[in-house]
Amino acid sequence: MEPGKQGRMNTSRFFLAGILWISLLAPGALPQATNNQAALVKQSSITFVGTVSQVAATSFAGVPKSPQTIVVRVDSVLKKPAAVSLKKGDTVTVEVKDPAAFHDGTQAMFYTEGWIFGSGVAVKELGHDTAPSGGTPGAAETGEKVVGQAHSEISDQDLQRLLATCDYVVVGRITHVHAWAIPKSAASRYRTSEHSANWQEAVLQVQSVLKGPKLKRNKMVVRFPLSRDVAWVSAPKFVPGQQGIFILQKDEVSGAPTSSAGGYKADVYTCLNPGDWLPMTDEARVRSLLENR
Amino acid sequence: MRALAGYPTRVLALTLLTLMVGTVFGRGQSPGKRAVAAPAHAKVVDLIPASLSGETNQDSEPFLAVQTANPQVMVASAFTPNPISNTGNAPLYVSEDAGNTWVLNAITPVPRMTCDITHAISIGENHPRGDLHAGTLACAASVTLDESESDDVSSSAVMNVQSSRTNVDQPFVRALAFSNADHIYVGLNDLGQSSGRTATVDVSLDGGASYKSYSIESRKTMGQDGPSVRPAIAPDNTVYAAFFGWRKFNGSMATSDVVVVRDDAGATGSHPFQALKDPSDKLPGRLVVKRVSIPWSNAPTLGQERIGSTLSIAVDPNNSSTVYVGWADRGRKGDIYTLHVRRSTDRGVTWSKSDLPHTTISNATNIALAVANNGTGGLLYQQLSGGRWVTHVVQSRDAFATIQDTILATVPADRPVGQFLPYLGDYDYLLSVGNEFRGVFCANNTPDRANFPQGVTYQRAADFNTRTLTDGSGNPVAISIDPFYFSVAVMP
Repeated sequence: MEPGKQGRMNTSRFFLAGILWISLLAPGALPQATNNQAALVKQSSITFVGTVSQVAATSFAGVPKSPQTIVVRVDSVLKKPAAVSLKKGDTVTVEVKDPAAFHDGTQAMFYTEGWIFGSGVAVKELGHDTAPSGGTPGAAETGEKVVGQAHSEISDQDLQRLLATCDYVVVGRITHVHAWAIPKSAASRYRTSEHSANWQEAVLQVQSVLKGPKLKRNKMVVRFPLSRDVAWVSAPKFVPGQQGIFILQKDEVSGAPTSSAGGYKADVYTCLNPGDWLPMTDEARVRSLLENR
Repeated sequence: MRALAGYPTRVLALTLLTLMVGTVFGRGQSPGKRAVAAPAHAKVVDLIPASLSGETNQDSEPFLAVQTANPQVMVASAFTPNPISNTGNAPLYVSEDAGNTWVLNAITPVPRMTCDITHAISIGENHPRGDLHAGTLACAASVTLDESESDDVSSSAVMNVQSSRTNVDQPFVRALAFSNADHIYVGLNDLGQSSGRTATVDVSLDGGASYKSYSIESRKTMGQDGPSVRPAIAPDNTVYAAFFGWRKFNGSMATSDVVVVRDDAGATGSHPFQALKDPSDKLPGRLVVKRVSIPWSNAPTLGQERIGSTLSIAVDPNNSSTVYVGWADRGRKGDIYTLHVRRSTDRGVTWSKSDLPHTTISNATNIALAVANNGTGGLLYQQLSGGRWVTHVVQSRDAFATIQDTILATVPADRPVGQFLPYLGDYDYLLSVGNEFRGVFCANNTPDRANFPQGVTYQRAADFNTRTLTDGSGNPVAISIDPFYFSVAVMP
């Protein structure tokens, strides 16, 4: 079995264990999760239920101790990246916002982002619920969605950032790809480097625009790096016939922001971040995130 | 009679075989003078922390900085992405116990992952866990250089960017404590230089608050110099820098000089790096070798690694007249890439006319040189040999006439399949601290003791009996490229 799949199974197991633990603690007597909780779950990269074991302390060497750092024993993990090793019984250092809210024995759902990774995990608090209301049916549903989201190539949080800062989001299909001939006007910036991008141009047949001004024509030119160099390897690569959702920026990188590849002179766009191209299966998710901006 | 008649043939065959083994596995020279005993105090540590046991990234191109005033504190780096987020800051590895354990702290100014990073810790500003100076390139943008600093590498504060510009390559940082400020020297290839004289050193004399940029190429180029520009500094304020002066380039082969410049006052003058002139044209920059052919391939060529620009320079910290330079070129017929090391004992004015003994090394890359306090020369390199990447650290007290060769790792070269280039890195690193050589290299992380002849410590979850990695919960994890720290006792 692929390790990634193992990791996903693990996450699911942790999630189910967390739900079970919460259910045993507070059976059927808890309110619905609030919008704030749902936002915190989406925003956090590591979400877990835990019990405070020490205040003003840290759980492993290499984490600077302060009045804001507390040690928490993990009771269940609801969300974490596959690369991170974290399970029930581990201790975590949490840099909290308000140390007065915690004392030995405090139980809480911690919504956190990663901080330091060593022999253990140190995280920064984004929010918490001291009553384990994260175990309510509402929060459990939210949590389940988040675990599902963690399986995707890109988190909702990262995708939201891409959608917020891009110029266009379109659904379309690549019709043609060719090497970009660097014009004389931009040649001076193209010297030999191991980071050379090896730019290609793709003609994108637009089927619908999810974000951005209305297009005059239903074609766009997308410039993308074919290079396998570390600088460009994470940028999406395109082939003719490739369909999906394209999150596009006006080209500010290649040095020549227009092209005639589509049959007429037009602005060129890039999608250089991992997640700037998504398969059609993500269309509903993208639409939902765009609507909830 | 037939047996007797065959004896000379067998002796000849055995002799030839021995010579071939010496060429392929050794340095292509007589192994007779090589001492192969390994030092007793070698330490090798996989940097990936236990809490990231599930990671499978290609954590290549390592670098290392040591705080000389407190050598317990070290910072390492590699192409390690932020483990949590595509938009979070790229991380550094930090050790506060002389490399026994490492934590990952996401404090560089670059999103997600750097695409070149080097750094140095100096003590001019008296920060107990700093002052770290870094040169970083950001990925998937217009390859932007940030020159930045951290006063405390264990804090969560993101490094402060002090200078930034685009269109540069391979920043290579060295720092020297000077009074109450750090002097910082960043070798880089400034591709924005319209003159084509792109080999450049950025100099800060005020701890990074301000930088001045100096082209150190005084000759005509084919439009640019090679990517690697390497400074080396001595405590007496002597600064050397080596670079590839590209004279011709056809896309797959550069015709290059190996050039060394020198400044005797820490580059504090108005026209720095002019002290060393070549007798052939009286221009600044001594030509150590002229017009060597250097293959350029931005594709898997030496095993799964690309080639084109490996270069190192090191100065004796207690005698700045002694300086070593090493590079790779096309070398001998049949070689893909051949390392060479030369030495000067008169401040770079004259150089050994041929490679030092035992330093013409076939099919190898990632050369890194250092000189210990007692004058011992150190040479780190990675050689493709018998289908394996073999990482050597070689020491010598007599300009490599006799050597002590320590193999740190010998790992399969065909696994894992590369995720991107560079596979192991365009460089690794070696430096000296007290009576140790310390350094970093990258390798296949299969937990197999046979792969690490000096022994190895893994922080991440690994089962050496089954030779498998796990995620900390018992689930198997695929092998990948990891960064390894090492320490080797300096020859007495």
